[in-house]
Amino acid sequence: MTFPYRGLLLSSLLAATLAAQGQRGGPPRPAPRPLPDGPGKEIVQRVCGATCHGVEIVTGKGYSRDNWSNVVNGMVARGAKASSSEFGEIVEYLGKNLPPRSGTAGAGGSGFIGAGPDDAHIVDPEAAERGKSIYNAECLSCHGAAARGGKQEGTDIVRSLVVLKDRYGATIGNFLKLKKHPTTTGRPSASIEGSQVMELSHFLHLKVTDTLRSGPYSQPINVLTGDAKAGQEFFNGAGGCAKCHSVTGDLAGIGRKYEPVMIQQKFLFPKTFGFGRGARNVAPPKPVTLAVTPANGKTVSGVLVHLDDFNVSLRDAAGEYQTWTRSASLKVVKNDPYQGHIELLNKYTDKNMHDIVAYLESIK
Amino acid sequence: MKTAILLLLATAAFAQTLDPAKLSQPPTDTWPSFNGDYSGRRFSPLTNINASNVQSLSLAWVHRISLPSTGGPFPGSIKSSPVVVDGVMFFTVPDHVWAIDARTGRELWHFAWPSRGGIHIGNRGVAVYGKWLYFETPDCNLVSLNMKDGKERWHKQICDPDQLYYASAAPLIVGNHVIAGVSGDDLDVPGYIQSHDPETGERQWRWYTHPEPGTPEAKTWPSVEAMMHGGGMTWGSTTYDPELNLIYFGTGNPQPVVAHKGRLGDNLFTECIIALNPDTGKMKWYFQSSPHDTHDWDANQTPVLIDGVIDGKPRKLLAQASRNGYFFVLDRVTGKNVVTSTFARANWAKGLDAKGQPIPDPLKYPQIDGALVSPNQAGAANWPPPSYSPATGLFYVNASNAYSVWYIYDDTDKPEGWGGNDRGGYSEAMLQAIDYKTGKIKWSHKWEGPGGPRNGVLSTAGNVVFAADPQSNFVALNATTGQPLWRANLGAAISNGPISYQLDGVQYVIVATGDTLYGFAMHPR
Repeated sequence: MTFPYRGLLLSSLLAATLAAQGQRGGPPRPAPRPLPDGPGKEIVQRVCGATCHGVEIVTGKGYSRDNWSNVVNGMVARGAKASSSEFGEIVEYLGKNLPPRSGTAGAGGSGFIGAGPDDAHIVDPEAAERGKSIYNAECLSCHGAAARGGKQEGTDIVRSLVVLKDRYGATIGNFLKLKKHPTTTGRPSASIEGSQVMELSHFLHLKVTDTLRSGPYSQPINVLTGDAKAGQEFFNGAGGCAKCHSVTGDLAGIGRKYEPVMIQQKFLFPKTFGFGRGARNVAPPKPVTLAVTPANGKTVSGVLVHLDDFNVSLRDAAGEYQTWTRSASLKVVKNDPYQGHIELLNKYTDKNMHDIVAYLESIK
Repeated sequence: MKTAILLLLATAAFAQTLDPAKLSQPPTDTWPSFNGDYSGRRFSPLTNINASNVQSLSLAWVHRISLPSTGGPFPGSIKSSPVVVDGVMFFTVPDHVWAIDARTGRELWHFAWPSRGGIHIGNRGVAVYGKWLYFETPDCNLVSLNMKDGKERWHKQICDPDQLYYASAAPLIVGNHVIAGVSGDDLDVPGYIQSHDPETGERQWRWYTHPEPGTPEAKTWPSVEAMMHGGGMTWGSTTYDPELNLIYFGTGNPQPVVAHKGRLGDNLFTECIIALNPDTGKMKWYFQSSPHDTHDWDANQTPVLIDGVIDGKPRKLLAQASRNGYFFVLDRVTGKNVVTSTFARANWAKGLDAKGQPIPDPLKYPQIDGALVSPNQAGAANWPPPSYSPATGLFYVNASNAYSVWYIYDDTDKPEGWGGNDRGGYSEAMLQAIDYKTGKIKWSHKWEGPGGPRNGVLSTAGNVVFAADPQSNFVALNATTGQPLWRANLGAAISNGPISYQLDGVQYVIVATGDTLYGFAMHPR
């Protein structure tokens, strides 16, 4: 060790816990949870559980439908492969079958992609609420409302090994008993015991959970900061948006239809699946089309099914599937209806982006 | 250490024992470490497969993993680079190691670690010392197995799951050291890398990725507390220069990851390329790829060692295609910058400082109302290993032009953990061939289809580059021109970096898709 890490200098009561943890054994890992039964399960298994990560990374989470749509859109951007309707089914399935959990797990269980040990403290929200009263009465004045350290000398409890090593008050109880820790009211810390220690423990683990990506800080706060008038100018002028769109035509009522964050995501990344304000309908993106001209000069057009360096296939207007081997004599022209949006990514300033959100939000 | 090497040489005639000299030689009949040799080039000197005959490459075997002993579902895709010693291949997924016959794909043994938790997102593979294997587990253990039968010899805890650390890296053997990195950025904990005795497993040293309080570098943090909880994990692949006796590795993102107001400053030694003495764990130099990172752009991409020529002079160089979109070439003796360029779209820096490091643009920090930033969180490149060919002088990396919007979610006084994230995005993929002397793109092959590539690159003396597109094609390209020459559509995304070796005159190329390994072969004419 080139540098003794002071934060890890442990009191004797923690050292015992650490030593025990170095031992192997204990209960074997429970089998990873399978996907719940329901429409869309097979698609989720195939798209989300067989290529980049296993399905336990999905079943280890619980989100609202909106948050699942964000997760799925993020995966689309990273190359997840499925059709538009399948992605819609995936979001429906996840929102219905893997909702936010009522009993939020502690430092481990609900962490992003299953962070933490299997035997992590599971928070009981009602007990945590009772623990909050004890915390507010005896601890808050030094350690702050978020338990991340206060204006007084109180340390950051969320980062404390006494809490991270704790399970259901065992370590926290020992600490309060042995340490003669100061309290707000002057009450001896050792007198916080039994069910009170358990409740305080639930509250402190809840505060740890609050710092995780699955915690309460997982939503944009406010994206409506732009200038609607400047947005209108950009829309009709430099942005070139009015060449394809009209706020009295295809975008009529757009501000009623989507939340501001979804408006922002939709015009930046139109292949984002749009979920309407309180509505469940999925707005699927428009498909990419192809025009393929073989050596005979007869062009075939249709919706792109597959295109790589070696092969190309499409579905034509009659619904027929057509496929070719690519060669120098086979002309392939791709038409992405969102090409203009892609090119704009290199042009927008962040001010343009915020102004457009404000403008489109105003179209009620 | 000398004694150990002599003993190893004495037993080298027996099956499945690695001669340590192999670790620093270009790989031929072995692929003895994650990158094939210490340089991190992933360059095969073999020529039986070459640009004029690769169209005849054929499928020799398929190995699909099964988990009869646990009965559990698919545990995660094969991201490991297999290691090949004496005709036997060793590869991993989190908690599992397999030995299979490198000629046939037939399973010899399977080891399952009884896990106690941790993030199971990936495992990069095993290291070999003599007749012993080493690998890391999501629940923070370094485990040593007997190569012969997969029986456990010992395990040592290398990190603490209660602090949401986990372990995923492939260890590296250097002399009598097992170098092991750690992972985890959910809570604000410090990163480190450490070394273990390959025989006993005892820890030899640990190097924290933050400066010592009171040193000039500590001033890149607002407080000792912020520094001590500042992240900087060590989950990438490590390379080694035996002449200089230095190991090279990258460090990950600072903490809190996105909501950064409590850690103003450059945040050393997060987001750095680090040179360390493997015997003492003392740092020789550092270079920061992303000063004050706010976008989770871990600088853990392979530091590839290039023995090159700059301005007519032979130079010991190191190159990294970093997740933040920048390509760096450094003098690996001193850490001084030689070249900085971009290899993919990057809109987040105002320019370069005197050291050749990008200067972050505060307007592109995550914002409450969002900042449109390129690259996205997945990055212009990521863990999939790049390759450098001394035959073409080109550095090959599967790259992405990508955008997403970065938000601050936690605007309270003291955000912790992440406190923000990115959303949505656009991404297009391409294979970039970079001239290391200038940082200029010599050729770029754009891949059709959405999304970034999640697979590595292999270059060979046969003037071939093996890579993969985002559409499940395993592709061979002409290394000089970038022209696609051959492909096999494997039906699922390619999930690791390819490797190559030759046994009995047959040259093999191995690649994985999720739960399946494919062995392609070129038989002698």
